[in-house]
Amino acid sequence: MAEEDEELDLYNEMTFGLDRDSTEEDTTKPLMPLEMSPELAEAAAEETEAGEELEPGAAEPEELGEPQEEGGMEPEVEQFGSELEEEEEELGTEEQEEDQEPCEEPNDLGDPAVMRAVQSKPTLESQDSAVLDSRIGACWAEFGKEDMLPMDPAGWGSCPASIPSPHGLEDKAILQVLERPPPSTNVALDFLGSPMQRGYGGSPRLKRPNLRLMSPKSFPQRFLRQVTGYASPTPFRPMSPNISSPPQPLAMHFGPMSPSLDPTLFFSPSASGQLNLSVPSHMTQLHPQHQRILTQRQQQGRQAQSMSPKKLWSPKADPYAGLMTSKEKDWVVKVEMIQLQSENMDDDYYYQMYYHRLERKQAEEELLGGRNKQEPPKLVTPFIQKVETYDSVVRIAGSLGQVAVSTCYSPRRAIDAVHHALVEEAAGSHRLRALHRIEKLFLQLLEVEETQRKMSLAPEGKQPCCEEQKSQEVERIYQVLKIRACRSEEEAEDEFLQLLCVRKGKKLTARLLPHLTREQAEKILLTITHHLPFLMKKDMLDESLSLLYSPLNEVVGGMTFSKLIEVLQKMTRPLPESPELPLAMALKNQFGISLLYSLLSHGERLLSSDVPLEPRSGDFEMWTDTVFLVARELSQVPKTSLVEPLFLPSNLLSLFCRYLDKQTVHHLEAKMECSPLPSEAAMPC
Amino acid sequence: KHLVLLRDGRTLIGYLRSIDQFANLVLHQTVERIHVGKKYGDIPRGIFVVRGENVVLLGEIDLEKESDTPLQQVSIEEILEEQRVEQQAKQESEKLKVQALKERGLSVPRADTLDEY
Repeated sequence: MAEEDEELDLYNEMTFGLDRDSTEEDTTKPLMPLEMSPELAEAAAEETEAGEELEPGAAEPEELGEPQEEGGMEPEVEQFGSELEEEEEELGTEEQEEDQEPCEEPNDLGDPAVMRAVQSKPTLESQDSAVLDSRIGACWAEFGKEDMLPMDPAGWGSCPASIPSPHGLEDKAILQVLERPPPSTNVALDFLGSPMQRGYGGSPRLKRPNLRLMSPKSFPQRFLRQVTGYASPTPFRPMSPNISSPPQPLAMHFGPMSPSLDPTLFFSPSASGQLNLSVPSHMTQLHPQHQRILTQRQQQGRQAQSMSPKKLWSPKADPYAGLMTSKEKDWVVKVEMIQLQSENMDDDYYYQMYYHRLERKQAEEELLGGRNKQEPPKLVTPFIQKVETYDSVVRIAGSLGQVAVSTCYSPRRAIDAVHHALVEEAAGSHRLRALHRIEKLFLQLLEVEETQRKMSLAPEGKQPCCEEQKSQEVERIYQVLKIRACRSEEEAEDEFLQLLCVRKGKKLTARLLPHLTREQAEKILLTITHHLPFLMKKDMLDESLSLLYSPLNEVVGGMTFSKLIEVLQKMTRPLPESPELPLAMALKNQFGISLLYSLLSHGERLLSSDVPLEPRSGDFEMWTDTVFLVARELSQVPKTSLVEPLFLPSNLLSLFCRYLDKQTVHHLEAKMECSPLPSEAAMPC
Repeated sequence: KHLVLLRDGRTLIGYLRSIDQFANLVLHQTVERIHVGKKYGDIPRGIFVVRGENVVLLGEIDLEKESDTPLQQVSIEEILEEQRVEQQAKQESEKLKVQALKERGLSVPRADTLDEY
């Protein structure tokens, strides 16, 4: 148990550093100058190091104490000299001390196991800082096994005869760095520099002195992550007053730091004792249940860990753990949270489904368990303001199109089909302009539908004003459409018709129709019917007129008799350019015939119902004439060119029966491929 | 240590080192694990950088439970051989199926071409 306690102490020591006092007690005097003014020490080290590097061969063996195996040592030391500046600083200072200390035998240099372990690694690996780290990690692992407390840095020093000694030196250096004030400063430093720079501990080649200050501190932090695997609830000490000024302003940038947060969170346990990356910092706001799960896991881990502290010192201490700094992790989480943010939660299928299910489950539980109804916790995403506005579309001069700019707030932004610039009046073909307008109107329409959907979900009180707004919007769209009467010659020029020539324009109209008032909708129907031949001709490739059938059917279904006649008149008027009636043409077009049938069916419905029709004078004649005309055309048109309608109303035959003889009706019935009337014998005609 | 399933069906196991908002992953000491029946084989792959859109799912491996699995680990050669055999068998059965369907006048689109709509 004592051993375990000591290991715990050791861990704490390394995690949090020794107190100033205890540091001074434990370490030998020569180390004091180091602690006092790191900058100066480093500066001094730099100089000495620089001086030493010039004469690697002769000088070093001396500094290291024993001139043994120089050949073997040199390359290593040289490598150190060239690559790892930060370690060199320590080395430099170390080397100063070593002169003072007597050489110790290899066995006394701490753990012989360490020596062996270190020795086995090939020197080339020291090129790779990551590998170096692993070596260090291995060293630490070894420490764990052999209870090394208290570690006497002085004992490290020295020696040298054997190859491993430089490593030993370096370890000593690390140890010293660790004994410096706690990583709370490191957290502050976290917010310095780019995440990239911070993330890859190893050997950043930092030239500037102020950064140098940071790097040794970054090292212990990384180191802690490598070695330690579990959270210790000990709050971090406030920054040591000995640290020179630069870190202080950093802390200020950082803002208020709650001691119970950050670093402890960083070291939340996982089953393996490795770093658990799943706990973000206080910046991110988690779903309460999520938060609960995570803290539970932490606690469990902590409990488990306290049972078996040996687990800390897993032999495979992961040197690459913690490549991502907490800042980076927070950033990713932040981006994801921002992506989650949307004003419109009604549209989010997953969100709705999730909460419906949750509520259902809770309702069930409530029924079974008889508990009080609990409000399902809502996910509160942190309100990270998307303050950065940016051009979604960047137009590069001379480019053929648009470039989508993606930022962290919208990583993969699609290129909008609509130009945000005001280039609508630019010279473009009619078609282009039509397309433009369609897009614009569609967007407006989508907004309208949006508000309507919200309205339906909103409480009762808000509805009137929303409706007002909505009708205004719809009116606006309608006005823009510029539906007006135009002559046949102008058809190509008419804007509305141009819109209708495009599939999307038809779709737009189809979607808009339900929102319009009766008069507006009927006007559209009138226009379409009036220009039916034109539209049908234009639609031959697309065949998208059918889109309009359904909404127009609705419109037809609500028309008065007079209006119906008016519409039918459009179809029966003779055309100037062709001998064919629009009617006849319609029979050959799916949409046309469907519309025609729809109109006739509605007329029949009106007639056979008891509703007073209030016809205008001439309406009935018109009606009968139309029916005869249709019948005639139907019988004349060859069956092959007769197109099957989208929907065949059932009351057409009865309509024909009213006015036509039996034979004709049969004939038409065959032509139209209607299902025969139920009681043929009972037919009145 | 994480297990990543990719869209092309590969299973990668490695230490997840870094992510970004697209779910791009950096895996360290990655091992591609091929499963055939009750056997599996690991191919060491080193460092993987996976583009986010190719990730199907990703899960953490419980290191304690990792070793107790009913599956049997075999050598790479063996598992590759097994995989080849399995692929062959699958292809043959698929061919027979398509043939039979064709005889009956149906043509089923191939699943692999569907994926990339």
